[in-house]
Amino acid sequence: MTIKNSIEVKNLVKTYGDVYALKNVNLQIAQGEYFVLLGPSGGGKTTLLRSIGGFIRPDKGSVAINGKNVDNLPPDKRPTSMVFQGFALFPHMNVSQNIGYGLKIKSISKDIIDEKVNKMMNLVGLSGLSERMPNELSGGQQQRVQLARALILENDVLLLDEPLSALDAQLRKDMCIELKRLQKTVGITFVHVTHNQEEAMSVADRIAIIANGELLEQGTPREIYSNPKNKFTAEFIGEKNIFKGKVLDFNKKLINVDIIDDTIKIANLNYDIKTNQEIYLSIKSESIDIIKKNKIEKSISKNNETINGKVSEITFLGQFVRYLVVLNNGKEIQVRTNHEVKGLKLKDNVALSWNIEDFLLHQN
Amino acid sequence: MTLRDDFQPIWKLLLKWLWLSFVVFVLMAPVFYTMYISFNKLGFGAKIYTFTFQWYINVFSDKQLLTALGWTMILAGITLPIVIPFGLLSAKFYKKSHNKVWIVFVLLSPLFVPADILGSALLVFFKNLNKIFTFLSDHTGLYFLETWFDLGIMTAVIGLIVYTLPYVFVVIMITMARYRPEQTEAARDLGATAWRAFWEIEFPQIRAGVFSACAFVVILTFNEYTRTSLLKGGFDTFTSVLISQMLNTGMSEESYAMASIVSLVAIIIVAVILISTSISKEKLEKQTRRINEPAIK
Repeated sequence: MTIKNSIEVKNLVKTYGDVYALKNVNLQIAQGEYFVLLGPSGGGKTTLLRSIGGFIRPDKGSVAINGKNVDNLPPDKRPTSMVFQGFALFPHMNVSQNIGYGLKIKSISKDIIDEKVNKMMNLVGLSGLSERMPNELSGGQQQRVQLARALILENDVLLLDEPLSALDAQLRKDMCIELKRLQKTVGITFVHVTHNQEEAMSVADRIAIIANGELLEQGTPREIYSNPKNKFTAEFIGEKNIFKGKVLDFNKKLINVDIIDDTIKIANLNYDIKTNQEIYLSIKSESIDIIKKNKIEKSISKNNETINGKVSEITFLGQFVRYLVVLNNGKEIQVRTNHEVKGLKLKDNVALSWNIEDFLLHQN
Repeated sequence: MTLRDDFQPIWKLLLKWLWLSFVVFVLMAPVFYTMYISFNKLGFGAKIYTFTFQWYINVFSDKQLLTALGWTMILAGITLPIVIPFGLLSAKFYKKSHNKVWIVFVLLSPLFVPADILGSALLVFFKNLNKIFTFLSDHTGLYFLETWFDLGIMTAVIGLIVYTLPYVFVVIMITMARYRPEQTEAARDLGATAWRAFWEIEFPQIRAGVFSACAFVVILTFNEYTRTSLLKGGFDTFTSVLISQMLNTGMSEESYAMASIVSLVAIIIVAVILISTSISKEKLEKQTRRINEPAIK
């Protein structure tokens, strides 16, 4: 079965003076997909979104929506609607006037507008608030109005530019669930820009990582989280344990990596590497086991790699406990456990162990 | 600026208000005194004060003054629909531009040139332009061109535009600074044309600034003497008549009455602008506060 592309971006380039906002970006988003553009601020994700929406004219490349090239179409002629960062509600119009504005422009009769506005208000959970002015609404309500205003036009694609950035943490979590539910209900393509990894993971069918104007990698949330191909991705999704190293030797199953004063053995997951090549290693803090030891020693078991160190910091973070361990080579490694390790104190000697497949290798 | 500080003693606050009131009084005392003597039947310098409206009645029977008032209103009426769109476009351009300093410099530079220098520069410019247009009309047969840059209403209006544009730009720019351009983008995204997005979304939010700018233009047209009298080609505008009357006869009681009317109108206009601006500012701050506060579901 072939997946029908809703959006196809080809070789998109956008510069501002000498600065590249987008560097040859290629992207395909399937129809009905919830796609998230994730990356740090200034990375180019909003530029890409605005290029799709027609708010920015790229220097090179093309954008097609539903197979039709839209390069020369202004925003109002594209089959897209946009939810803006912050709250771009019209402050002099009440909720129903805001939601119905797009239909009013299309000269649709008032009765039909009223009917559609009511339906949309029910869908986004705003019933009974039609007469309220934007300044009488909470942040969450204002964002729902923006969503309703965009969805009422029944376009094929909804573009969301950091839609939850102005909301507090708990409300953001609730709105993520709400957005996912809405997307399933209306069945159209959602393209959501965010710099928040948790937000991206909780709503996306697929995620693209964008930084410095480049699309670094894309995949499902699980792929991005569990197996980031790129060092930047690993760092961006919150990985603290990243080490620079050099490949000592390798075979089909194992790679020996020198990380200064220590050697680590990792599984070879078909990496394209050479001996003496400089690489980066990363491991998730929750993939490491921590055991209290009385003596510093180093041992390698069959499937597990073990390394010794000393606890330098213990932080209780509610749902989990974070240990900072200083290794023999002076590097710090972070370990996260669901519970406190009994009797473990600051400056205790510990042994850290992990499955050799948990250490990932990144070439850049 | 705020005069309130939760930790300062109350007498300091009172002292500040007292100082502010004193400054306002010193600035406005001559105007109030003019108003005071404009109601005295026996005029300036009399030892006895007898209240009367007679000088005001005389003002409205002075044909020369009323004609001059009419001319000034006509000048303001023609200048307004030209300078306001110019100011609006300049402010919009300023908001979008990356090189803001240069735009401010170019638009505000007429303010830094003394009125008589700018007025005489424009006068020379128009005289030379007139020669070119006369030449053109002689050689093309388009005789209506000949009088285009004769000194008169058109040259006076151009002079007023040069004079008032910086003020209009500043007033509208300040109001526009609070406007969020995402709203225009949202309207465009919903299908509005650029004009409709401006008229239905942006304009209602900058209306106060545009109306304030209009009021400023009217006040400035009344204030203006040098440029208008040089460029109008006849000393028959309101301020020029008032000044020539003063020079010829000294300040008459009618002049005091007229000056009082103009001052009062100007004070009322400025007060209305200040009050409406502070009300809309308060509204906007309230809204911004709500947006910035952690949202409650």
